[in-house]
Amino acid sequence: MLEGKRGGYGTAKRLPLIGGKLSYAVRKRIFLNIRKLLPALLGLPAAFAAGFIILAAQGYDAPLSFTSLFHYSVFSRFAFFGTLARSVPLILTGLSAAAAFSSGCVNLGQPGQLILGALAAAALGLAVDLPALLMIPLLLLAAMAAGGLWAFIAGWFRHRFAMDEFISTLMLNFAADYFALYLISGPLLDRDMFSPMTKAIHSGGFLPLPGGFPTAVAVVLLVFCLVWIFFHRTKTGYELKIMGTSRLFARTGGCRTDADFLTVIIISGALAGLAGGLLIMGGQQHRFLKGLGANYAWDGVMIAIVADNGLTAVLLYGLFFAMLQTGSMGMEMETAVPSEFVLVFQAIIVLFAAASRKSFGVIMNWITVRRKAGKTARGEAHDT
Amino acid sequence: MILEIINASLLAATPILLAALGGLYTYHLNVFNIALEGMMLLGAFLGVLGSYLSGTWVIGLIFGALGALGAGAVFAFFAVYLKTDEFVTGIAINMLSLGGSTYALRQMFHVKGAFIHPDIQSLPLWNLPFFGKLPWLSFAALGLTALVWIHLYRTPFGLRLRAAGEDARAADSAGLNTARLKIRALLLSGALCGLSGVFLSLGYVTLFAENMSNGRGWIALAVIILVRGNPLNALLMALFFGFFDGLGLSLQKVNIPSQFTQMLPYLAALAALYFYSRTKRKTL
Repeated sequence: MLEGKRGGYGTAKRLPLIGGKLSYAVRKRIFLNIRKLLPALLGLPAAFAAGFIILAAQGYDAPLSFTSLFHYSVFSRFAFFGTLARSVPLILTGLSAAAAFSSGCVNLGQPGQLILGALAAAALGLAVDLPALLMIPLLLLAAMAAGGLWAFIAGWFRHRFAMDEFISTLMLNFAADYFALYLISGPLLDRDMFSPMTKAIHSGGFLPLPGGFPTAVAVVLLVFCLVWIFFHRTKTGYELKIMGTSRLFARTGGCRTDADFLTVIIISGALAGLAGGLLIMGGQQHRFLKGLGANYAWDGVMIAIVADNGLTAVLLYGLFFAMLQTGSMGMEMETAVPSEFVLVFQAIIVLFAAASRKSFGVIMNWITVRRKAGKTARGEAHDT
Repeated sequence: MILEIINASLLAATPILLAALGGLYTYHLNVFNIALEGMMLLGAFLGVLGSYLSGTWVIGLIFGALGALGAGAVFAFFAVYLKTDEFVTGIAINMLSLGGSTYALRQMFHVKGAFIHPDIQSLPLWNLPFFGKLPWLSFAALGLTALVWIHLYRTPFGLRLRAAGEDARAADSAGLNTARLKIRALLLSGALCGLSGVFLSLGYVTLFAENMSNGRGWIALAVIILVRGNPLNALLMALFFGFFDGLGLSLQKVNIPSQFTQMLPYLAALAALYFYSRTKRKTL
């Protein structure tokens, strides 16, 4: 729904340079993937330049700030594992947003769905005490179910009452927020603590950290593969892709759009819920702290936008955003730039990536038109 | 008791109303402006900044309105000039002002969370019969509602705006400059959202807190959609949400956990959306 027109400009036949021996379909796919990544990559240098100027204008040591941003996020094992752990909720909420957006479903409820998932994992993790082999899958499923259910409410509103999911998911975010606050400062409150939080869940629900490696990453990779297969290799996934282009066309073409819509919003919610569950089960705290979801609230939506709803691109940009966020602490240590700068920088990246994608499309269109005009002028036949 | 409720409702309704008035311009032009929340937050921050630096609310008001107008200009630059997707631009503006205000809070005032200072001067209170004591911007917002109505429905500008919103191509071929109209509408909506933000930080309370708009911009957006762009109905709808906001405050005296009463405005939005969808279905 976001970028309605795809494949508008000069399509694959004119790109024999890439993978000459491969079949046309494969070449086309590679080309389309590159075209999806490239514009955003062009926007990145512009965003970096803008960030650089902002820092330099305030009298900070901009070069050192940016190098420490990377130095403290990838250049040691400890830092790299930190980045990986940070990327878990980012990638999952990003996938959640991308899955919904690319199917024409405006689910902006990732924050609420994440909170519900985390609450489910925390509450169940407190209530039951099982061996890890049973408990981990149980909590993961519970988190997904809770997130999916929260999203389903909005989906059902849409299905039953034609209520716009765009507003209802947003409003449910606030409801989830206050609901969580109620639970952790009331029924689930750990009375030994000074600020609202639950007790730590039973240790069976802890995800192992062998040598500091966050195993939540493995869960993310598994889920990523499943989502990829779902969208690229199943009938429903295909129908959803059509729905993302045109809902009317999908319906007239025989897709069960109502059922598909509910499916995708539940999947989207389950992904965000899983992100919340992994926040509880991975990491160090293993409890629901006040403000848990706030840090990741809109990151998923931003990542999906920068990635143009591409699943693989979400994976990459999720890692990239995680890198920025992890490195920001190091940056603050080195050059005293408040780590909140990364919030500004992320928004700049979103804006520039989106703008450059659009301009890139305009330029590509222009080139195609020029070339066609040239051919016509030389009296060559149009290729169809 | 009833007067108290009216007072509390109008107080809580003012920021929603002002932001909704801003959003009306873009609504009628068919621009998907979801940056209300961000522009509001920016206005709130700059309002406090201006008032703190100068010691007078006048400068705060000007700072807030102009700053949010600037955000509208950025929106216009990207959405109109570079033709970036409106949804994406709106999200980015929201994130930019959320991140920017949080960053500036630490960078300029060296605090996390909230900034309170005795030098921040708040909006003067007027004490009118029936309404009770309120920041003057509340009453001004009532007047602005009428002005916006006149502007939209009784001036050439309003007619052109609505025509271009109805069918941009037809308007263009009739000789209207749709792009310029869009820019103007975005600037207007920015300035009004800025006022709404200033009201939050200098009227409702006298401080700036991280993310203090807390969804009011989204509620304003819901208001606009629910009233289909009519300013006078927007006033009623804003009062409706203000009522639930105020109700939450008075219910806190009763033994209901405050978290549930704070949910009320958002749940009210869901309920309003439900009734709206029912009537829409009937008319279709």
